[in-house]
Amino acid sequence: MNSQSPDDLNILAPIEMKPKMDYLHREVQRAAGSAMSRRKALSLGGLALFAAACGSTSTSTTPTGGASSGPASASPSSSLAGKPVENMLEIFNWSEYDDPSTYKLFAELGPVAAAGTKTHETYYSSNDELLAKLNSGGSTYDLIVPSQNAVAQLIQEGKLMALDQTLLPNLKYLEPSFLKSSYDPTGEFSVIKDFGVTMFYFNNKIVTDDLKTMHDFYMALPKYVSKGRTNLLDGAEELVPLGLMALGLDPNTTSQADFDQVRTFLLSIRSGVTTISADYIQDAIAGKIILGQGWNGDVRRIVQGRKAQGDITAVLPTGSSEVWSDNWCIPLTAPHPVAAHTWINWLLTPTTAVTEMEYHSYPIPIPDALSQLPADMKNDQLFNVPTSYTDGYHYILNVSPQVVQQRTKIYTEFKAS
Amino acid sequence: MTLLSEPKQEKAVGVKRRGRSFKPRYPTWLALPALVYEVIFFLGALGILVAFSFATQTGFSQITYGFSLDQYKAVFDPLYLSIFFRTLMMAAIGTILTVMVGYPVAYWMARYLSTYKLLAVLLIMVPFWTSFLIRTYALKIILDSQGFLAKTFGLDIMYTPIAVGIGLVYNYLPLFVLPVFGSLERMDWTLIEAATDLTARPLRAFWDITFRLTLPGIVTGALLVFIPMTGEYVIPAILSGGKYEFVGNLIGDTFNTAQNPPFGSALAIMLMVALSVFVVIYIAVATKEERFGA
Repeated sequence: MNSQSPDDLNILAPIEMKPKMDYLHREVQRAAGSAMSRRKALSLGGLALFAAACGSTSTSTTPTGGASSGPASASPSSSLAGKPVENMLEIFNWSEYDDPSTYKLFAELGPVAAAGTKTHETYYSSNDELLAKLNSGGSTYDLIVPSQNAVAQLIQEGKLMALDQTLLPNLKYLEPSFLKSSYDPTGEFSVIKDFGVTMFYFNNKIVTDDLKTMHDFYMALPKYVSKGRTNLLDGAEELVPLGLMALGLDPNTTSQADFDQVRTFLLSIRSGVTTISADYIQDAIAGKIILGQGWNGDVRRIVQGRKAQGDITAVLPTGSSEVWSDNWCIPLTAPHPVAAHTWINWLLTPTTAVTEMEYHSYPIPIPDALSQLPADMKNDQLFNVPTSYTDGYHYILNVSPQVVQQRTKIYTEFKAS
Repeated sequence: MTLLSEPKQEKAVGVKRRGRSFKPRYPTWLALPALVYEVIFFLGALGILVAFSFATQTGFSQITYGFSLDQYKAVFDPLYLSIFFRTLMMAAIGTILTVMVGYPVAYWMARYLSTYKLLAVLLIMVPFWTSFLIRTYALKIILDSQGFLAKTFGLDIMYTPIAVGIGLVYNYLPLFVLPVFGSLERMDWTLIEAATDLTARPLRAFWDITFRLTLPGIVTGALLVFIPMTGEYVIPAILSGGKYEFVGNLIGDTFNTAQNPPFGSALAIMLMVALSVFVVIYIAVATKEERFGA
C-alpha cells in the first residue's frame, strides 16, 4: 500500500551475515500482514517448553542442573566496575531490530575500539525460541532482547544478570516511569529497548458512536457486527487480560471471581465478533474491518493506508489497556558482560535512540530523543504514545501456569461458543 | 495357501536343484530407512507424547514426570467434549459431502473417459502441486464477504462453519476421488451389460452391482478423508476467522498459549484413541478389498 512507510523500509535494509531464512520469514510475515506476529507469540512458551522439556526436567529433578547457577539476586555484578571491555560481544536479537550504523558507531567508541571488540549477532523470531535456546543450556550470549513476560519468566528462573548501574550512566535519559516495571519491579535486570500499546480503530462512516475506552469498544461489537466484520486480537494472553482491563480489573489477576466476571462479560459480547485474528493489517487497509483491536504500530499503518478514504478513526483508549515492551537483558552466563553493558549504555544515548527509532519505528522512552524526531513521527500519537495514556496501561504477564490455564480455558470457550 | 503348498510340490517332483525355496526373496534391508524414520519420528514422538500426558506441569519450563491421570480426567470437561463432538461431526459432514461430490466424478472418469482418462487423473491431482496453506488462503479470497461469491450471488459465508465445510471438501476431494476411481477402474463393466440384458433398469444395475463392488473403495476413500479432517488445524483456523475450534486447534493452543504440554498431549492421545476406531474399520475394509478385489 504505502511503500514509503518507515515500517516497510526496514525490510530493505541489509544486515551483514543475516541468514536468508530469517529474511524470508520476515518477508512472509509482511506479506501475510502480520508484521507484528512475533508479538502474537510473546507469551507463547509452548515450543520453548517442548524443545527444552528434556533439558529442563533435569532442572526440576536435580537442583544442580542447567539453571542452577543461582537465584535471581545472586550475581555480584558490581564487581564489573573498572573491568576492561572484552574483545567480543555476542548478541541474540530479533532480526533487523537495530540500525546498521548503531553497530558501526559502537565499534568506534573509545573503550570498544581500544579493546577491538567484535560484535556478532544471531536472530530469533519469537520469545519461545529465545527461551528454548536459554533453557537448553550452554548459552554464550551476552545480550538478549526478551519481551516483558519473558523477562519476568527469566528473572523468576534466575537466568538474568543484575545489571551494574554504574556502567549505565545513560539511564538518566530514560523516562523515569520506564525505569522500573511490573515485570522487573527493581529495574535491576532489564533496560527497555522500545514499547508499544494495544488500541482499537473503527470505520467512522459506519461506526458513529464516540468510543473512548476498551469497554466502549467491546460494547459496540454486538451493535455493529451486522454492518461488517469486527476483529479481536487472538491469543488467550490478549483476549482475557484485555477483557479484564475493560472491566477495570487487574489484567494479571489470580482471582477466580475476576475470571468468572470476565468470562461472563466476554461471552456476552461474543455474538458481536466476526473474527479473532492477529492478521488484520491488510484486511483493514482493504476496508474490510469496521471495528477492531490492534497494536499501535499496525494501526498507524492502517490509518496511513486508508488516508485517501479517511474513514479510519484510531483510538488510544482512555483508562486501561495493554502496553508491551522489548528489553535489553544480560544472561547470567554471559562471557562478556562489560561489553554488553557498554552496548546498552550506547543504545541509551539520545542520538543513537533517534537513529534507532527512525530505523525500527517503535518508540524508545527517551524524551531527549523523541523531541529530535521528524514532525510526522514526533507529533503522531500512534507512534509517540503520550505517557498520559501509557501511565494507565498495564503489562500483561504470564503470572503462573495456573493463570495461563484459566485464561486459555476462557479463550477456548469464547472461541468455541 | 498356495505359498504354503509350494515346498510340498517341490518335494513331490523330487528334483532339488538348489537349496532355496520358490518364495519370492526380498532384501529386507530395503525397509530399513523407513523403519529408522518411523522409530525416531513416529514412535519417538509418540513416546514423548505419552510421557508428557502422564506428567504434571510444575512451572513454565518444568514438568515432573510420573503417572498421573489428571490430564486425562481434565479432557472429560463438557467444554472439551463438545469440541471433540463438534470436530467429529464436522469431519463426518465433510466426508459425506466429499463422497457426494467425489463419487460422480470418479464414476464419470472411469466409465466414460478413455483417451483423456490420464489427463483427468492429472487434473484431479493438480491442486496438490500447490501448498495446502496457499489453497486455503485462495478459498478465503473467493469466499470473502467482498469477494466473487458474495458480490455475484450474495453468498456471504466467510468465517462461518459453512466456509470451513467448503474448505474441508475442497482440500480433501482428490484423496477420495483417486481410490474410488481405482476401484471403479478395476470393475468389470460387462456385469452391467449382463444386468441390462436381464432387464435391470440402470439405477438398479448401479445399486446392485457398481455400488456394491466399489463399496470397499468408497469406505477406504471416505476414511482416508475423514481421519485427516478430524485432525484438521489449518482450515478451521483460516476459514472460521479463529472462531471455530477443532480439536487440532485446541491442542495447538494448549501447547503454545497455555504452555501446558501434559494436557495438550492428553488431548492428542484422546483424539488418537477416538480415531483408532475408524482406523480399525479402515484396515478391515482395506484388507478385504485387497483379498477380494473390487
